[in-house]
Amino acid sequence: MILSLLFFTFSFVFYVLTAVLYAGHWVFKKKWLGQTATAMSYIALASTTLILIFRAAEARHAPFSNLFESMILFIWATNVGYLVLEYKHKQRVIGVFVMTIESIAMLSAALLPYKFKSVEPLNPALQSKWHWMQDLLSHVGLEQYAIGWLDFHVFSTFVGYGAFAISFGLGIMYLLKGWFEEKGRSNVLIDMFPDTAMLDELGYRAIAWGFPFLSIGIISGAVWADYAWGTYWSWDPKETWSLITWLIYATYLHARVTRGWRGKRAAILSVAGFLAVIFLYWGVSFVLPGLHAYA
Amino acid sequence: MARQSNGKSLWGRAFSNLWYFFNSLKLTIAVLISLATVSILGTVVEQNKPVEFYLTTYPRFGKLITAVNVDNLFHSWWYTALLLALAVNIIVCTFERFPPKWKSLLNHKQEKFDPKVIERFAHSRSVSVSADAAAVNDRVGRILKKMRFNVVSSVHGGDYFYYAWKGAISRLGSDFTHISLLLMLAGSIIGSYYGYKDYRFIYVGDTVDAPNAEFKIRLDKFWVDQYETGQIKQYNSLITVIDHGKEVLTKQIWVNEPLSYRGIRFYQSDYGMAWDRVDTAYIAPKNIKTGVVGAPVPIKWGATEKIPGTKYSVKVVGYLADFAYDEKTNSVGSISADANNPAVRLEIYNGDKLVASPWIFRNYPGIFPAIPADKGVDLVFATFKPILYSGLSVNKDPGTNVVWAGALVMGVGFIFAFFIFHRRVWVHVRQEGLTTEVKVGGMINKNNILFEKELKRITEFVEKGDRSK
Repeated sequence: MILSLLFFTFSFVFYVLTAVLYAGHWVFKKKWLGQTATAMSYIALASTTLILIFRAAEARHAPFSNLFESMILFIWATNVGYLVLEYKHKQRVIGVFVMTIESIAMLSAALLPYKFKSVEPLNPALQSKWHWMQDLLSHVGLEQYAIGWLDFHVFSTFVGYGAFAISFGLGIMYLLKGWFEEKGRSNVLIDMFPDTAMLDELGYRAIAWGFPFLSIGIISGAVWADYAWGTYWSWDPKETWSLITWLIYATYLHARVTRGWRGKRAAILSVAGFLAVIFLYWGVSFVLPGLHAYA
Repeated sequence: MARQSNGKSLWGRAFSNLWYFFNSLKLTIAVLISLATVSILGTVVEQNKPVEFYLTTYPRFGKLITAVNVDNLFHSWWYTALLLALAVNIIVCTFERFPPKWKSLLNHKQEKFDPKVIERFAHSRSVSVSADAAAVNDRVGRILKKMRFNVVSSVHGGDYFYYAWKGAISRLGSDFTHISLLLMLAGSIIGSYYGYKDYRFIYVGDTVDAPNAEFKIRLDKFWVDQYETGQIKQYNSLITVIDHGKEVLTKQIWVNEPLSYRGIRFYQSDYGMAWDRVDTAYIAPKNIKTGVVGAPVPIKWGATEKIPGTKYSVKVVGYLADFAYDEKTNSVGSISADANNPAVRLEIYNGDKLVASPWIFRNYPGIFPAIPADKGVDLVFATFKPILYSGLSVNKDPGTNVVWAGALVMGVGFIFAFFIFHRRVWVHVRQEGLTTEVKVGGMINKNNILFEKELKRITEFVEKGDRSK
């Protein structure tokens, strides 16, 4: 409990600092600020990784079983996704938006009531290990480290969420830039953004990663539900909201093929998609009852 | 298609119009957004409750909700119709778009082309190199090969023409994904027609028939695992399948580990104590005058045991977990399955003679004397060992495998659609005087940023040769 919370506190500070550094780089255009920001995001990633590792050691299972743990996973996945994006496209101004989302996510995880944070043993429904993996690992005496549907389902879902968070940031940037361009106004800060075509394309790339991972998350959830309860789909609110989110991003993908739906409308859809993700993730857990109410 | 309707029958025209209607990406977008929107309603309004629930929870809309099936939205005719519209949309679009796409994929090579086309592509570049065409041509060939492009090349009048491509399979990604959705839909339809769900509870040691099947299952054992903290870790049942009188398999099942036999699966669902029988009742003699209670005697269900220190033998013939007496019908029963007021019915014998058959209560010892005729001895129901039952969900769904097949096809489709890109590149190499001009252009089906980088890599290699990185 102690070490994971220690690194949680560190990470919180790191993410806020990273967001401030990216913002400083954006406003003052100093190269060293940008480089420091990038270095800080790697440090924040390392620290987030350590939260997950210590948490796993404390709980003796993969740290994917409650809201707090999954938030850390979300923050981790978003950070990894962002660093890949920055490495490939060298657009540090996107970091301002992504790291702000990360800081807000950190804050909301910190504010969670204790019962969502505590390390708990897994209840009967969450205990699913892959037998083939247990058998394989038992040859070397490591069968307790076998993973199962819970881990696979949560991990791929949250890689998807991370990608969607990034596409959300890009969608907001697109709408801001588009708004200024429409009004014919120029703003020093907005001019720092990549051009709208690039923002549109990068937003699409993020969703092109998020969508398959969300789909794998939904399908693995269905396989697991079928194995645990005998139904792969029961219209539980979490399932339905995952379908709603999936439908929004499916609309986005089809819309981009149609000429009139590129750009602004696509950006609006990607923002709407992430709002649905937030509801799917937090709203359903707190507002609507169901099988996932514990996570 | 609708425009060619002259000379067609009414049915023919209707069909063309319908075909035209379903062959539309706008319809796809409309249906997707509609499905998303109405699904929200299905999570806000609680599903499958009795009519009264809706009338009291939503006084203004209660009637409307039940009239248009919002109370069972996901199985309503109009939700099904939306899904069906999407399916028809997919089928029609596939029929319209797949054959020409397939043809162009088989038949796309352009050995000879007008070099002017290159500049008209969304992505194009050109470089001038101070080297002769043959040397530059060599570089073009090498970089295209290095980047794993498939290449056809030709020479016309000293100019070199290249047509290169890779990742063509990416084009089939959307078709795989669409077909996977149809497969999943088909699987769910098969499941709703040929599948069923049921529930069985079995007492430990009992055998019951599997629903709609010719075999039986027996519960050998049921137990609960706990963590050290006392939290429940797992529920377990040991089940034996008996097929035509033969024990064919025994398996331990728990939540997340079902038993499957002949396509029927048994899931650990819940458990509890029997409300109408016990394994053993513990009956103790009591001296009414001194109030001293003797050692309890364990009596198995249905067995008769002598009570030491008395002249009586006792047989346990009845048990109710939550005893209640109904005056109107003058009958007894259990008002719940919980052991709130456990009671056993005994048959008390003096030798061979039945002297009394009272109900006695664990929570109210002595409230009614067990043997009214005997003022010296009473019997007390001390405690009991319950019979556990295990509740099993039973399920058969032959559509499930079709759904999983769909999921697999979808995975393949996603790899094609999102992680492989179809590039087509046209290159024209032309020497003019001492320099050679190379024009490179082409198209990619998605990921324009990547394609720009690739074109840049090609031109840089052409310029600098092996010195470029």
